[in-house]
Amino acid sequence: MSSLVGFLSLVFAIGINFYLFLSRYIFKFQKQKFNLFIRSASLLTLLSFFSLMYAYVVSDFSNYNVFQNSHSNKPLIYKISGTWGNHEGSMLLWLSILSIFSFFFSFTKNIDESFQRLTLIIQSLLHILFGLFIVFTSNPFLVNSILVNEGLGLNPILQDPGLAVHPPILYGGYVGYSIVFSIAIAGLFQNTDDEWLYVAKKWSLISWTFLTGGIALGSYWAYYELGWGGWWFWDPVENISLMPWIAGLALVHSLMMVRGEQAIKKWIVFLSILCFSLSVFGTFLVRSGILTSVHSFAADASRGIFILLIFFIVTGFGFLVFLLKEPKKSNALNLLFINKVSALVINNILMIIATLTILLGTIYPIIIEVLYNKRISVGGPYFNSTVIPIMIPGFLLMSIAPILSWQTNKMNNSKKYVLAFIILSVLVLIQSYFLDFNTWGFVGLLLGFWIILASMIAIFSSYKIKINIKFFKIINPHVAHIGVGIAIVGITCSSVFQNELDFNLSEGDKFNVNGKTVLFEKIETTNQINFQSLRGRFLFDIEKNQSKEIEAGKNYYPVSKMITSEAGILHQWNKDIYFILGDQKNNEWFVKVLINPFVSFIWLGVIIMIYSGLIAVTRR
Amino acid sequence: MKLNHFFRVFHITILSFVFFTFKTFATGNIDERVKKLTLELRCMTCQNQSIYDSDAEFSNDIKKIVKQKLQEGKSERDIKRFLVERYGEYILFRPLMNYNNIFLWSFPFILLIIGLFFVLIKTKTKKA
Repeated sequence: MSSLVGFLSLVFAIGINFYLFLSRYIFKFQKQKFNLFIRSASLLTLLSFFSLMYAYVVSDFSNYNVFQNSHSNKPLIYKISGTWGNHEGSMLLWLSILSIFSFFFSFTKNIDESFQRLTLIIQSLLHILFGLFIVFTSNPFLVNSILVNEGLGLNPILQDPGLAVHPPILYGGYVGYSIVFSIAIAGLFQNTDDEWLYVAKKWSLISWTFLTGGIALGSYWAYYELGWGGWWFWDPVENISLMPWIAGLALVHSLMMVRGEQAIKKWIVFLSILCFSLSVFGTFLVRSGILTSVHSFAADASRGIFILLIFFIVTGFGFLVFLLKEPKKSNALNLLFINKVSALVINNILMIIATLTILLGTIYPIIIEVLYNKRISVGGPYFNSTVIPIMIPGFLLMSIAPILSWQTNKMNNSKKYVLAFIILSVLVLIQSYFLDFNTWGFVGLLLGFWIILASMIAIFSSYKIKINIKFFKIINPHVAHIGVGIAIVGITCSSVFQNELDFNLSEGDKFNVNGKTVLFEKIETTNQINFQSLRGRFLFDIEKNQSKEIEAGKNYYPVSKMITSEAGILHQWNKDIYFILGDQKNNEWFVKVLINPFVSFIWLGVIIMIYSGLIAVTRR
Repeated sequence: MKLNHFFRVFHITILSFVFFTFKTFATGNIDERVKKLTLELRCMTCQNQSIYDSDAEFSNDIKKIVKQKLQEGKSERDIKRFLVERYGEYILFRPLMNYNNIFLWSFPFILLIIGLFFVLIKTKTKKA
């Protein structure tokens, strides 16, 4: 029953959107009526999504999709998240989020009515494309032809609270760029005033913030669930999310230039189209299954072709409009060596190079396989030695960019900065002299701390310190950059200064980690609702009274016959101690302990970036 | 003080430090070299995981081979060549810098040069 409701409302929603599209040419609507239609189409799509969710929650196995991906003994949260834990459901989530964005956009005030309407019509077109894709190739409402009372279960790797909320947030970013895309296209068609740039800025910030959150959740999940002690692997699926993120960052920064009166409209439109294209392209690559990834999702190639088709339609249409309807020529750029405009231009160029390099590295193995029928890998080492060096000048610039002047190449207090930089360099050099010297470690620490320090100096010497909302809005760019600096410090320390210790232990053994005694207390096996767990219990720092307890082990999911590793992590503010339980041999367990210094800084940095993304949305 | 001066100081400091870092560069002990090398190798039986990160049987075998060969005094290059002969280029996470992959490796830097030219041409030297 719920499947029928879901399917019908989806079809109705597509129908209404089609009607709206025709309305531009055939029927003319009042504003109220138009908004009513677009909102009802959005709500119908949501109804469709929630009826699928309902089918999952009540374990309605007469729905083929539920039967394939759910099991009645799962905890409720994974029944809900199971809705998007599969291809069909996740595409419906994609469409629902698209609808939510249209819904909220229809409430935007103070913008030109016909412009708003055109934007929404482009959204409707996208809705139709993806809606038809769902109906014809990935229908989540198919009826199960056999009568069953149990489902096949959800991939155990996805049964995790972090990953349960990861897709909706990530899609909030991906799909959010659809509205930016529509705004840019509508802006090209109307070509009237610059009002659309302000609208685009707000929405691109919203999307970017969502995307940041989504990526962070994904890599945090990889950190504790994959159990290798790393959190970023330059995996294709990760690269795909990183591309629109960097392009989106470039977009947000170029939209800043609007404030300095020199809108590089053309470039902004290009980036808007690029961001959404990359999002759709990412969906294609992930869903087509042509990539080998640690974040493997079941997928099938025929659907990939469809998404590829949609990708070509969207991108082709976008760039065609871009070429035909070029924005009016804007005044020349005031590029000086070095003022705010040129800093922003350099940063944009670097970000786009980084994006394109990641794109090339990700699809290069596919190209080679098609051309030469040879399999090669392009992995972390390639990206580390291309993308990171390219970004370094950008990182140097961002430390002072927010206080540069728009008009001249003079900078206030520049002596202060030079002095600070030299002192900092000496300090970092001394630090790395006493620890193991490492080139990347040195560069990373210097950059990270320099960004933090320069932003601090900028805040304290350029503005009067007040504690009110307005002040936080003014210093927001610096705050965002401090977040980046903190994240860079965290990334550098956790990857360069990671320490690994291997042990072979029997129960009751004591061993030494970082000068602290650890007791390998015992091995426990228990039966949980839908899995069996094997846990090694460790007591960290037993000499103290309050020793910390750590559990590391594995879970076995009988329904899907899979084993997942569950790392035991002891979080401290300056390091994570990461326990991995290996295999048993001759009554001894292999235990790997990783000491990851300053991992918490990465997450702190990301939280600061998200915070300033949110603040920037409220600022005009 | 003009910004150009500031950047000059900036660059000199960075360059001198980069120079120092290369001077102090030294080869680590054998475990670190194994780690460095196995991080750049793909575990063929896993999903996109490096041999270093993986505990699969295949990875453990390769780790042993790498360690043994390093102890024999073979260079990283020899070991990579040996592994490529056995398993194909797919095992290398860092694609070979050869004629076939010239586009892959030069692409970012060509873009960088184009970008640099763009900025240099468009930059006004005089004050506005």
